[in-house]
Amino acid sequence: MKKILSITTLIVLLGIAGCKKDEDFLDIPPNAIIPSDVAFSDPALVLSILGDLYTRQLDFSNLKGRPNPESNLGNPNSPDVEAGWRTFADFSESFPSENGSSFLVQRTGWGYNEWRIDWQRSYAYVRELNLFIQRDSASTALSASDKLRFMAEARFLRANFYFDVVKRMGGVPLVTSTLQYDAAKGDASGVQLPRSKESDIYDFVISEAEAIKNQLPNDVNEKSRATKAAALAMEARAALYAGSIAKYGAATPLVALPGGEIGIPVSMSAGYYTKALAAAQEIINGSAGAYQLYKVLPDLSDNFAAIFLDKSSVNQESIFIEDFKAGAGKVQNYTVNNQPYSISDEGGDAGRLDPSLNLVEQFEKLDNTFAPLPTKNASGGLIYYDNQQDIFANRDARLAGTVLLPNGLFKGKRVDIWAGYQLADGSIISSDEAGNLKALPGTTDKVQVVGKDGPINGLEFRTQTGFYIRKWLDPTVGSGRRGRGSDVAFIRYRYAEVLLNAAEAAFELGQKGIAATYMNLVRARAGLTTPLSASDINFDRIVHERRVELAFEGHILFDYKRWRIAHLVWDGTPTTLPDLVANIGKATQRSTQPWGLWPYKIYNPGNSNNGKWIYKEVLPALVTGVNKFQFGNYYSAINDNITSLNPKIVKQPNQ
Amino acid sequence: MKMDLYKSSRKSKTIPVWQQLMPQKFLLLFFLLLSSLIGKSQTNTITGNVADSTGKPLQGVTVATSNSKKAAVTNENGSFIIKTTSADRNLIFTYVGMKPFTQAISAGGLYNITLTPDITGLNDVVVVGYGTRKREAITGSIATVTSKDLDRVHAGSTVSTGLAGKLPGVTFRQPEGRPGASANIQIRNMGTPLYVIDGIQQDEGQFNNLAPNDVESISVLKDASAAIYGVRAANGVVVVTTKRGTTGRNSINVDAYAGWQSFFRFPKVLTSSYDYVNYRAAAEINRFGSTSFTQAEIDKYKQGEAAGPDYRSFDWRKYILAKPAPQNSVNVNISGGSDKVNYYVSATNLFQNSNLGSEYKFNRSNIQSNVTAKLATGLKVGMDINGRVETRENPGVPGGDDYFLARLAVLRNTPRERPYANDNPLYLNDLGAHLESNYAFLHKDLSGVYHSDWRVLQTNFNAEWQIPGIKGLTVKGIYSYFIADYLLNNQEFTYKAYTYFAPTATKPEEYRATGGSTNPWREREQIKQINTTAQGQLNYNNTFGDHAIGATFVAERLQTNRKRNWLHGSPVSNNLPLIYFPITDRYDDSDDKTSRIGYIARLTYGYANRYFLEASARRDASYLFAPGFRVGYFPGVSAGWRISEEPFFKSLVSSKRILSDLKLRGSYGQLGDDNPNNNPIVAPYAFLQGYNYNQGTAIFAGNAITISRDKGIPITNITWLKSKISDVGLDFSMLNGKLNGTMDYFYRKRTGLLGTKYDVVVPLEIGYTLPRENINSDAQFGEEMSLNYTSKIAEVKFNVGGNISYTRSKTLDFYKPRFSNSWDQYRNSGVNRFSRIDWGYEVTGQFTSQEQINGYNVNIDGRGNKTLLPGDLMYKDQNGDGVIDQYDQRPIGYGNGQPNINFGFTIGLVYRNFDFNADFSGAAGYTWFQNFESRWAFQNNGNLNTIFTDSWHHTDILDQNSPWVPGKYPANRYNIGFGHSDYEVNGQRNSTFWAHNVKYIRARTLQFGYTLPASVLNRVKIQRARIYVNAYNLFSIDNLKQFQTDPEISDDNGIQFPQNRVMNFGINLSL
Repeated sequence: MKKILSITTLIVLLGIAGCKKDEDFLDIPPNAIIPSDVAFSDPALVLSILGDLYTRQLDFSNLKGRPNPESNLGNPNSPDVEAGWRTFADFSESFPSENGSSFLVQRTGWGYNEWRIDWQRSYAYVRELNLFIQRDSASTALSASDKLRFMAEARFLRANFYFDVVKRMGGVPLVTSTLQYDAAKGDASGVQLPRSKESDIYDFVISEAEAIKNQLPNDVNEKSRATKAAALAMEARAALYAGSIAKYGAATPLVALPGGEIGIPVSMSAGYYTKALAAAQEIINGSAGAYQLYKVLPDLSDNFAAIFLDKSSVNQESIFIEDFKAGAGKVQNYTVNNQPYSISDEGGDAGRLDPSLNLVEQFEKLDNTFAPLPTKNASGGLIYYDNQQDIFANRDARLAGTVLLPNGLFKGKRVDIWAGYQLADGSIISSDEAGNLKALPGTTDKVQVVGKDGPINGLEFRTQTGFYIRKWLDPTVGSGRRGRGSDVAFIRYRYAEVLLNAAEAAFELGQKGIAATYMNLVRARAGLTTPLSASDINFDRIVHERRVELAFEGHILFDYKRWRIAHLVWDGTPTTLPDLVANIGKATQRSTQPWGLWPYKIYNPGNSNNGKWIYKEVLPALVTGVNKFQFGNYYSAINDNITSLNPKIVKQPNQ
Repeated sequence: MKMDLYKSSRKSKTIPVWQQLMPQKFLLLFFLLLSSLIGKSQTNTITGNVADSTGKPLQGVTVATSNSKKAAVTNENGSFIIKTTSADRNLIFTYVGMKPFTQAISAGGLYNITLTPDITGLNDVVVVGYGTRKREAITGSIATVTSKDLDRVHAGSTVSTGLAGKLPGVTFRQPEGRPGASANIQIRNMGTPLYVIDGIQQDEGQFNNLAPNDVESISVLKDASAAIYGVRAANGVVVVTTKRGTTGRNSINVDAYAGWQSFFRFPKVLTSSYDYVNYRAAAEINRFGSTSFTQAEIDKYKQGEAAGPDYRSFDWRKYILAKPAPQNSVNVNISGGSDKVNYYVSATNLFQNSNLGSEYKFNRSNIQSNVTAKLATGLKVGMDINGRVETRENPGVPGGDDYFLARLAVLRNTPRERPYANDNPLYLNDLGAHLESNYAFLHKDLSGVYHSDWRVLQTNFNAEWQIPGIKGLTVKGIYSYFIADYLLNNQEFTYKAYTYFAPTATKPEEYRATGGSTNPWREREQIKQINTTAQGQLNYNNTFGDHAIGATFVAERLQTNRKRNWLHGSPVSNNLPLIYFPITDRYDDSDDKTSRIGYIARLTYGYANRYFLEASARRDASYLFAPGFRVGYFPGVSAGWRISEEPFFKSLVSSKRILSDLKLRGSYGQLGDDNPNNNPIVAPYAFLQGYNYNQGTAIFAGNAITISRDKGIPITNITWLKSKISDVGLDFSMLNGKLNGTMDYFYRKRTGLLGTKYDVVVPLEIGYTLPRENINSDAQFGEEMSLNYTSKIAEVKFNVGGNISYTRSKTLDFYKPRFSNSWDQYRNSGVNRFSRIDWGYEVTGQFTSQEQINGYNVNIDGRGNKTLLPGDLMYKDQNGDGVIDQYDQRPIGYGNGQPNINFGFTIGLVYRNFDFNADFSGAAGYTWFQNFESRWAFQNNGNLNTIFTDSWHHTDILDQNSPWVPGKYPANRYNIGFGHSDYEVNGQRNSTFWAHNVKYIRARTLQFGYTLPASVLNRVKIQRARIYVNAYNLFSIDNLKQFQTDPEISDDNGIQFPQNRVMNFGINLSL
């Protein structure tokens, strides 16, 4: 017994002696935290930090985001809910075919909070950019060339970020170094900055681009990191925006603040246009790399669609992209959410983005003229088409490259879009279930009476307009699966837009010939081979070309804002059929509700028209709202919580 | 060939794991070794018999000598033999449930002892923190439940599910009833409590997955008595003790039951296609103004099958839910002991199926082995082993919750849809948009398999040594090693779905593959959790005359380490269950450690069993906080006064008949929390500066790189929140101990809740937020009481008991809150206000006619009431401004959490060999909102929840101009979602119309048993045999029945997996 006791005692004593000290026991080293000084001694770790700053860029539109704000459990009004491609579904450019998104076509316009930035997260991002710049310049362990490039990249990201902010908010406090609140003093006045002038922010973007452009690589194949061309493309677009706000803002004097936080004096417009043209021309003349329009595929529509899919070095059109990679932890669900229903990889996920007839009508005929898609002849009778796509013949190739038309090809299959049979007496045989089978009058065999992709009013994920989206849609096998997702890249800046920016700046500077040259380059690629002459170039042409070339790339809202025509196009009056088919190609054509074009098959055995196609312009039943853009929408609201924390911040006009 | 191999490898897993884990032969050898240590050398021999008050011999009574500490146990005839020394003055007889009895030793003779039942329980030993206490000496608010009560519940699979209504002050809600589900229990709604199992701090999962059969007692420390657990004790502590062997009773016990479960309640749907098209046509007209259904078509549905196969009906609810699901449980345990060794060795297997199908299952095998050996005088060592294998398996189902799709299928699939093409079970029917909810694919062959296992083993080594020379001083050490291993394998198959084309004159019949899933999903998750606890204890207990003194000192170190990885792949074929790199697209990895150190001291003092005083203190340190902020002190003090032991009181109330015991007690303590509701109060390593690695992925030049993000401002100032609990209570015993009761009032104030100092105004442009600080406070308070009455009328022994508790929480102070106006303050202030308030509109009625809508002067829907129909909701315009918006919101509910009021009562009857027990429990004080499937018709383009058959509708469904017929719900609008003012106005979705303040009382366990008479059993050498039938959740009286939902569910769509109604048959055997 004694032995047992002494052994036990010994074990206990040894146990106690072997114990760590309390503090050592409590100190557990972290295994996923990098101290700042270590981080800025290793280029691989700096790139890891920079990678985060790249992924947090502010894009009004991109290929990420959730289909509707409901699908995020948080507050649907919060800008935290990344809008992503959902912004494509707005502005009457498309119909959102998903129950949770119906509100987009049922409201009477936009709130003043719409499109605002998340102030807190935005300035947190600015702070981290400033911290990065500060730590990078303080680093002694990095090579000089690494330091310089990292620094220029961070400055590019900061400038590009302020550009996206000024587009939405106008002038904001321009923070270019890390602000530190001194808690001991308890005085915050030192860190309260007033809003800069709107022009000051644009000037900052332009001057930063000029300052860093030669510190960035001159490399056509570098697309996901900043390059000289990216800096110049940003500069050209920003200067163009500033110039047009100065020029066209004169027409809306109410959209301005006396301190210049909103509004740019008209006198500054020519200066900005000049800078825009110069920056764009620096790219066009090849001094930032051999960029060119993508002309690879023989079919011009396929070629246009491929600009947005081809990530190989053949694509020298894209300048700056957000890249994705399947199987590597970064993919987007644009294709999952928007693939055609009948060709979907994922039963319940498809078809949320249905381009509107409003947009489709904009695509010109090949003779450079505008005309509605012919559904009726001059005497008001129906036009019967042998083939479903005949109605779209001889149009701008960008139409079929942007929009998936009825019977259009995706992944080697044809989309099945038709609304039903029309009988001789004009009555319709259809179904509330897509692809449903019924026996036609006088027969017993059941046949399909409506397309598998709709259109059927109210049936989500099937088209409601008669069209699906094609731009950005990924035909790769598996890209429509939720598990895999798509890795199509989002292109932030591309060469065709640079050309259009140059054209617009030249036009505004009175150099219509130059404008026509640049625009014809873009148009020829789309099959519009008859060149426009200098005298053809006018404001309507400029607006129209951007709308069809850059559809679903996130431009329409900001273009219409800077031209101050948003309140005219989205004027709150319902869009009628005459509105839709008249004035095509006019910059201020009304577009307040997304219309559709529904194909029907004729069932009239024995008649020559049996089996032919007719088309009807339809306002989808769920469209009950009207888009109304007010003066207060030109710049998004700055909320009370922001102004109350910094009284130097003035409010927006008209709100 | 490949498939065969694959199958056989799966089969090999089914060997009961406890057999592998328990080396029985070794254990036997161990017992033999220990029993050989028993020595013998004595002089006098005393014999006698022990019986109960009816004269029935008592087996297993412990007989001990007062001085030499010899012990013996009575045999089946109640007789004993014990050797005594000359120093022994008394024999002490103890037996569970009987009052201890002391018999003076006189020379020679045969002792015939009668033991009387102890119904007051005052001598019961209650487990408290780091020790035990006799009930009469308890000074804190501690509720206990023992195996006697727990063993009756044969319904849920987890320990928590058996606690409904059994413990005053413990709130209970079981929103989920799937196989393996747990109930949510909280102590006084204070938050997730700390669980301590056999002295070791554990988490909720470990508590829930003990075998209920192995639990001896559960003590719930509700007040400052929990302070001894320091930094994790703010929400109270649940202390669990597992069974141990009793000296002298070697027995083999079997408890086995089998039963059937079915959903207690679940929404009903239309089962006829004709009904469906009628309601749908009406709902389409109400929403779109027109419908594509023609009268001719509807008439065909009326004819049904006669009009063609398309017009048949299918009852999805019956198809999915009709079959009751089996469950069974077998527990075998052996226990016993001598004065040298005690053992309890047990194995349990529990199996549960689900209503959703036999492929949805839960299985758990538990082992428990508690062995204590006396190695030498005063030295005991023991080893407790607790292990389990917990298996969940079901078809591989797309989406997060694998039990959801089958339930959704009940509501989503319409009677027009059928599971198989042409009803041919070889061909899954392509239901188009509803394909994913075609329940028929939810079988392993089509959908793949989800299989997860928890394998858990905990071993506690303990040693206790009575230090010689100092009476009452013992030193004790415990080392616990806990390992939990989780392995999840889930493969969701791709599959095809078919459309049937009937034969025509020109073509034969055809099943054409028209749809299906092309999206394979393969995931694997592995978790290894290792927790170690080392504890050293020094205890001193002694009495000096009337003074009883106790002291306890403890030091403990706790460490946890959790490693996890998860990976996902998309297999190229359903036939390949293994994952290789090319198909892998995600891999997550983590390795988290935590550590804590505690030093504990407690002093107790008792005088003459009349005054009790206890003081404890704990010093805790946690790894979570910055160095310098790690240490905290948690003191507690409590006192008890047994008034009934006072001479003056005895003279006042002379008869024990009236008031046999009366104790007043009070406690106050400070507790902490660094991990409220299982979330660290501050992120680990928040005090460090640097970059967090692995914050996502960026693609540069086609290559993925892992990205890092700045951690932000280092936070060093945050420490745990402090919780101060006061409790006053009264325990009493009346009518000769037949009536016992207890009541308590408590108030807990927590300070140091995290908040922002609003008087420090910094612009958002600085880019960071000032760290939150420990500045806010809240309170939880309430009362609870319980009463028990035990007696006998003629031959019927009975007991009735009940308890009720009320608890509510308030938010108290906020550091200088800021409000922009008085409305902001009214709507958003929390200062001194009840927590958990639901806001919404008040509904004053429903419109009865179009004229009334036209003349109504409040804009309900924000569109001039143009969207309203008769039957639509009328909201109260609280501020009279003519529109319904946020300013018209008022408090309308209590939140959807734990009930504020809980109660339970129990009745037990014993008549000869028959016994009957009934347990009831109920709750009130929480709010459930109807939503989605339970709020509007045809959610998800699905079927109609039959509650909406009672809606406003036209007399002629296809004629918008026919008169309206009133109903309970607004007119059905087809799958409208939140798109109508009945369901959402100005972003607010709640209104009193959809809010229901739940009240329920439900029959938990009803049990009827029969014990076979001893005369029969003696012949077959069985000590005891009892058979019983047992019903769980037989009925409920509540206010949610009208919505066809279980009163305890929390999902507002009403289609959560409800609790089950269970019928069991079982036996108890003692060999």
